[in-house]
Amino acid sequence: MQEDILNTKNQALAQLMSAESVNELEQIRIDYFGRSGKFTNLIKDIKKAPPEERKHIGQTLNEAKKSIETLLEGQKNSFKEVAREWFDPTIPGEKPDVGHIHLITLTIEKISEIFTRIGFERARYPEVESDYFAFEALNMPKNHPARDEWETFFVDVPENPKSGKTVLTPHTSSGQVREMLRVGKPPVRMINIAKCYRRQSDISHVPMFHQFEGLVIDKGISIVNLKGTLDYFAKAFFGKDRVTRLRPYHFQFTEPSFEIDISCGVCGGKGCKVCKAGWLELGGAGMVHPNVLKAGRVDPKIYSGFAFGWGVERVLMMREGLGIPDVRMIYSTDLRYLSQF
Amino acid sequence: MDIQILDSWLRDYLETPANPREIAKYLSLCGPSIEKVEKVGNDHVYHIEITTNRIDCASVYGIAREASAILPRFGIKAKLKEFRLDSKSFTFAKKVSYLEADIDTNLCPRFTAVLIRNVVIDKSPKDVVDRLQEQKQPCRNAKGRQHLVVDISNFVALAVGQPVHTFDYDKIKDQKMILRESKKGEKIRTLDGKDFVLPGGDIVIEDGEGRLIDLAGIMGGKESAIDENTKNVLLFVQHYNPSNIRRTSMALAQRTAAATIFEKGTDAELVGPATLLAVKLFETLTKGRADQNILNIYPQPYKVFSVKISEKFINERLGIEIQKKEITAYLSSLDFECKWEGDTLDVKVPSFRAKDIRAPEDILEEIARIYGYHNLPSRIMDGDIPDRPTEVKFAFENNLRNIISGFGGTEIYTLSLVPESFVDEKHLKLKNPLGPDTLCLRTSLMPSVIGAAKENIGLKERFHLFEIANVYIPRSNDLPDEKMILGGVLSGYSYRRAKGVVEALLERLNIDVIFKSEEEKGFGASRCAFIYYADVLVGKIGIAENTELVYYEFYLEKLMKSAKYSINTPSFIKIPKYPAQIEDVNFNLPQKTKIGEVIEQLKNTKFVVKAELVDIYKDSYTFRVWYQDQTKTLTDKEVHGIRNEIISSLKSKFGGNLKE
Repeated sequence: MQEDILNTKNQALAQLMSAESVNELEQIRIDYFGRSGKFTNLIKDIKKAPPEERKHIGQTLNEAKKSIETLLEGQKNSFKEVAREWFDPTIPGEKPDVGHIHLITLTIEKISEIFTRIGFERARYPEVESDYFAFEALNMPKNHPARDEWETFFVDVPENPKSGKTVLTPHTSSGQVREMLRVGKPPVRMINIAKCYRRQSDISHVPMFHQFEGLVIDKGISIVNLKGTLDYFAKAFFGKDRVTRLRPYHFQFTEPSFEIDISCGVCGGKGCKVCKAGWLELGGAGMVHPNVLKAGRVDPKIYSGFAFGWGVERVLMMREGLGIPDVRMIYSTDLRYLSQF
Repeated sequence: MDIQILDSWLRDYLETPANPREIAKYLSLCGPSIEKVEKVGNDHVYHIEITTNRIDCASVYGIAREASAILPRFGIKAKLKEFRLDSKSFTFAKKVSYLEADIDTNLCPRFTAVLIRNVVIDKSPKDVVDRLQEQKQPCRNAKGRQHLVVDISNFVALAVGQPVHTFDYDKIKDQKMILRESKKGEKIRTLDGKDFVLPGGDIVIEDGEGRLIDLAGIMGGKESAIDENTKNVLLFVQHYNPSNIRRTSMALAQRTAAATIFEKGTDAELVGPATLLAVKLFETLTKGRADQNILNIYPQPYKVFSVKISEKFINERLGIEIQKKEITAYLSSLDFECKWEGDTLDVKVPSFRAKDIRAPEDILEEIARIYGYHNLPSRIMDGDIPDRPTEVKFAFENNLRNIISGFGGTEIYTLSLVPESFVDEKHLKLKNPLGPDTLCLRTSLMPSVIGAAKENIGLKERFHLFEIANVYIPRSNDLPDEKMILGGVLSGYSYRRAKGVVEALLERLNIDVIFKSEEEKGFGASRCAFIYYADVLVGKIGIAENTELVYYEFYLEKLMKSAKYSINTPSFIKIPKYPAQIEDVNFNLPQKTKIGEVIEQLKNTKFVVKAELVDIYKDSYTFRVWYQDQTKTLTDKEVHGIRNEIISSLKSKFGGNLKE
């Protein structure tokens, strides 16, 4: 039997060597390895051999099969090489029209995704707002000096006897009391992202911008929770090496109030041209003032909460590597800018 | 507001080994924010931001007081040095011989004045000038800080945070003052030479001849101003009702340094020391002598009040537990008197914090900031998550953005504020716009989006811009209706190609719509189609007037309600068992035939499940028609019948002829 195998093998190799086309090679493959090919039959014959020889025969068969197959592949490739048509797989493709989503949208989505991961609900409240929700309900009565900080646009309509003047909302905080009234009973975990307007226009200010406002109200909410939430955001948004810190500040609608800083990503907190002694200002935050809770019909004796309202453009511009020098550039409608993102 | 103070001056009131960098860093962490420390000669200047609630910090002494409480928390010794003032030589009296005063104490709860005789107006000493140098006073008289009297006033104001005014005593007619509310229309000339017609309700002072000599708390009157010939000075230190000052200052746009302090509510108790400090400076620097009797009309002196706060409240809001002893120590360092009654702390509020500290939350802030926010741990809250799912509109909007950008659209953001030429007749206007280009709230995205396209028209390639934003439709007695709109513009696209993008969008949203030709403002004549889902108008598309741009818009609320994917899962439609027979049929159609209507007609034929336009050549249109029966395979004969039905309906409705 050993001899049969070697003969068959040599026969096959000879035929392969003299084959002249891929089709011929295929025919040879079928002749030897097809359902009733010569080699296939040899394999079937193993059973007839005496048991003590079978192992040895098997090995010879395998070796023979391998060498035939190797030659077969080699011959096939050599035919292909000759028959190959010129083809350039690196030729530039014909693209469909490619669109782009705006940087602000991408940022809003990122912010929203981070907060919804920890149970916040996305919301959006009116851009044209009453003085009541924009100021008064936030513990800022008429003529309060704190109102100066918001360079407010007023809409030319008659004053409403109840809700007062109409303004373009200068901050997303006007959604705080609206959200409390909508929800009715805590818990509240809101992330309100919306357009805001202030009477300003320079290298770091635009009259229309976006803020994201977080509001959390429940039993036993503490400063530690505010720190935890904002740290989580800062790490998720800017990178896990960044840390935040709180400094005392003042807002009428929070008590205590803070300014939040984040460690500078450029110098790593050592202090450089971009930052103030290693820190960059992120924005304001605080524990919701009891008067604001009351305006939202939430009992400050039972519930407490925290809130923060930060600029979308600001956190975007603070991202490392973006390098947009002027906030007004963000709102350019020049496609050469838009198609970069 | 910001103040600038010199390090050397601060150390007049503060004894500490801390260097300026440490002072800036630690104060910022626990108290007023020091934005910058600047080296000037051998000295340093602190640039400090003062928040509206902490007007008590708007002075060198106020900062020293804060520093003396904060620095020890960082292991640095700090001690506040008390003022040494001569209070024994003077009497605060309700009446004095040199001035008759008739005061409305609602407007001026504490009125203090003293006559300083025979002043010699010399040059200001160098150290006074140096210290004031860094302070950017918005209000100066014509002589600026060259004038010693003005310098003394400014010095006192910055040293202790109490604005001080001076009159030329001899210009006050009859040595008489009436402090009252102004009447609307009264006129005054202030010492900077400006004339004002008063709105009414302003605090003014009238002399014995009925002349207005002071716009109190804001700026002195020209009539009674100090000049180089002044011999006798009336020193004037007051505590005014902050809301009157605020109203006048805003109405007249006179944001003087004094006004920005008075409007935040000064400390009535500060008037005494400020007066004595000013007297001392006058006596040393001008050789003048102050009268021993200081006029002091102060019918309701400050009464100490207390705020109660429980240990539980403190620990709950802080999120950690701190010891009672510590709490007391922090508050005492800020001059609060504390007494524990069981687990409740009784906190007596000093006069200089009376405006700011009213509620337990205010006390909590004091404890927390001195403890140090940086010392608190971070922990996300546990507790229930709100059980209302986030509104679908956000996901819907994002889905639109993803689909459109996938079809080549680039998203833009344009300003909601537009010129009057961009809006419908019914619109909202701003009272205080930045300019005419941003006067109105837009009622349509069309002008803004088309404008953006025109800015890019120089590009050779075709492009597609879109925006999702609100328009503002006025409503009577209510805030406007803010309608979310998707608006898009395609440049360099044929109408068919552009409409194809919109149709593809609608297909992705799984909305089956009908396009109906309409005449519409902003579009070329018969260049617009309205887009309906059932009977609901969900959008528009057409060629913008006088352009080759295709503009489309959708009303998001309507579109979302129509889109099956947005709210519900669409129902599964069984894959037909029997294959459709597909054939292309050519028709010659008369000119001006609306192909949309032809397709509708085709689709309305029984057993026609789908019909599309595949080619146009002159008047000849090729439609691809799918014939299908759900229950069996249609025979050639049956298809022939359906085709005949199509031929006759196209003939009768449109005058079309089958092209063999």
